[in-house]
Amino acid sequence: SATPDSTEAIDPTAYHYQFQDDPYLSPRTSAESKLYSMSQESGRAAAKYFVDMYPKYFTKDFAEPHIPCLMPASVALSLEEVSEEALKERIGLRKVGAAVEMYDQLVQAGTPISKQMTYDLLDLICFYGDREPAQEGEPEADQTELRRKRGRFHRASDTLRGVWRENNNAERLFRLLPEREARCYSAVIRGMVKHGAFAKAFDMYTDMLNNRLTADVDIFNALILAVPEMREAYTEKVDFITDLLNQMSQQKVQPNLQTFNNVLKVLRRCGALAKSISLQTLSEMKALGIVLTNSPVLPSLCNHQCLETKDMKLGYKVQSLVGVGDNWRLLGDSYQQGMFYYRFFSLLCLMEHVDVVLKWYHQLMPSLYYPNPQGMRDLLQALDTESRLELLPSIWKDVKTLGHDNKSDLVEELLSLMAREKHSPEVQESFADCALDIKAAFDVDRRKPSLEWSPLALGHVTTLLLRAGRIPQACEALLEDFLSQCSGAPTTAVELVKLSAAFCLPATPQLAQRVLLEFDLTEDQRSAGHIANRTRTQTDYWNYWNKYYQ
Amino acid sequence: MAASLSSSPCAMMLVRNVTLLFGMGNHAARIRVGKGDRGVTYEQALHPHHIGHRKGWLSQHPCNLKGEEGAADRALEDVFIRRFMFGTFHGCLANEVVIKRRGNLLIVCALMLQKLPPQKFYFLTGYTESLLSHFYKCPVKLEIQTLQKQAVYKYL
Repeated sequence: SATPDSTEAIDPTAYHYQFQDDPYLSPRTSAESKLYSMSQESGRAAAKYFVDMYPKYFTKDFAEPHIPCLMPASVALSLEEVSEEALKERIGLRKVGAAVEMYDQLVQAGTPISKQMTYDLLDLICFYGDREPAQEGEPEADQTELRRKRGRFHRASDTLRGVWRENNNAERLFRLLPEREARCYSAVIRGMVKHGAFAKAFDMYTDMLNNRLTADVDIFNALILAVPEMREAYTEKVDFITDLLNQMSQQKVQPNLQTFNNVLKVLRRCGALAKSISLQTLSEMKALGIVLTNSPVLPSLCNHQCLETKDMKLGYKVQSLVGVGDNWRLLGDSYQQGMFYYRFFSLLCLMEHVDVVLKWYHQLMPSLYYPNPQGMRDLLQALDTESRLELLPSIWKDVKTLGHDNKSDLVEELLSLMAREKHSPEVQESFADCALDIKAAFDVDRRKPSLEWSPLALGHVTTLLLRAGRIPQACEALLEDFLSQCSGAPTTAVELVKLSAAFCLPATPQLAQRVLLEFDLTEDQRSAGHIANRTRTQTDYWNYWNKYYQ
Repeated sequence: MAASLSSSPCAMMLVRNVTLLFGMGNHAARIRVGKGDRGVTYEQALHPHHIGHRKGWLSQHPCNLKGEEGAADRALEDVFIRRFMFGTFHGCLANEVVIKRRGNLLIVCALMLQKLPPQKFYFLTGYTESLLSHFYKCPVKLEIQTLQKQAVYKYL
């Protein structure tokens, strides 16, 4: 019986739902999928530009209830008068500049503002670093590029996160506060860490301790994140972290999931030394009974670890975690997602029985993961180990769809696996069809940059064709092979054409054409070639034979 | 007044049935039979009196049911959406745009020719969806199907 839960699964054979359900508009490779989603995003940005540029056409509001996100940016606010309500509305709509303005106006007018409201405003400013919040999804394009370029270089993160300006509104507001509770310090410290003012954050922390306030767990989490920027050497970083954790226990602050996440995140940047410590941390987390549901670092970290320690059970656990609820967001951008699935898939190929591998392959394939050439090679190896080589033609189809048919080493490996041994007749037939298809992929007159024939590949193709009894095609392949071998020797090439005409092979015109194009020939050879080019029927061949073999 | 008109000598000039006059007649949404070189789609080939019998509706909304309001507004929206789609996907529309309304959601279904590369289609799709959502204050979704060339039903 179909329950609502059972109908809610992702369709593994479909592409992501953001793409149109049409074969022309479906992304076949990961590059295409990224291109299409980015184009869609930029289309939305273009529309937003027009909406904000000409707001007078979009102000008519007939939505009941009011939908603020569909109004132009300048018109979103409804309350105009200077009051606490208006301030609350602006904070709710995340209009940082407008909120600060309203606050200043209220202060000037002398209206009393509640402490909670002020703290809320401080939170807002610190969270967005005193600049307007960027729209969701829009700066993603820049973020992924920057993150990839960053790699090991942490300093370039300024442009990404925004700089915490000197004496910005947050600091100004903070100084104006009559009494500063732990909550205010928390907001300011976390804002500073988020937007790159790490030294200031630590100064604020010492300030707080001097005022005899205890830091809460969020402050410690933020400070842990700031550690890599404050110290250079790996050992110093690790020491700093342990120092912070000690202070935490001294102040009797219980670490939460975020603490461990941040510790793991920072340890990732501490090099190999940190691996043992991270394992320790993991076991401590388990000891404290923290449920591992929402940690962003865990998928990639665990994945990496699984691959190194070949731990399949952990791999499955991570995969199931990712499937739960919103956890798919934790996989990060498409590049990291690709890496995650690639590692998971290669682990599967190494460790598991080929049926399981295939099951996962079909489950992951178009919907979540586009395998890269290395992933395909791992799959081929798995198939080889379990001698399930009859599946090779379908794998070739997938390789073609993914656009990996121009990777010569992958294609050669596929061919060599097929040609290695003799199989049953049906399998040979399917291999021969596949070989013909691969041969077509090598053809010179395709629009995409095609592959170079290597003698090994050609040999495999010929073997496969001969085994299936496709003699004419095999001869054609052999002749093409010979032709590519005799580059720079026009007489040999001409001899080859003569031979093929003598045997009345249907490939003669093609060969003749190639010879005419690729070699420098004498006048006689050229005219002979032209005639050979036009041989179609038996009489043509007979005439050719008569003319040039007498 | 009608009686006096019909009894007057010039009554012979007034014709009751409009279709008897040469050059007039029902011309709405009809492509007349011609030489046989013009390909028409199913939508174009069937005349409006076939709607409900051999054709479906191009625009679906509940406002024409008893007690429902807003039919005129929907009609105006439809006109705008069709012109918008025609202009935005210029030269790519293979057939009339179908507009469906489900609750608050506005679904625009279009059949397109494969004249643009897919990334341009996605750009225009994102643009259209976002702009129309902001304009009509309701979620707008585009469902596109592409064809190599226009699906000809017959030649007229």
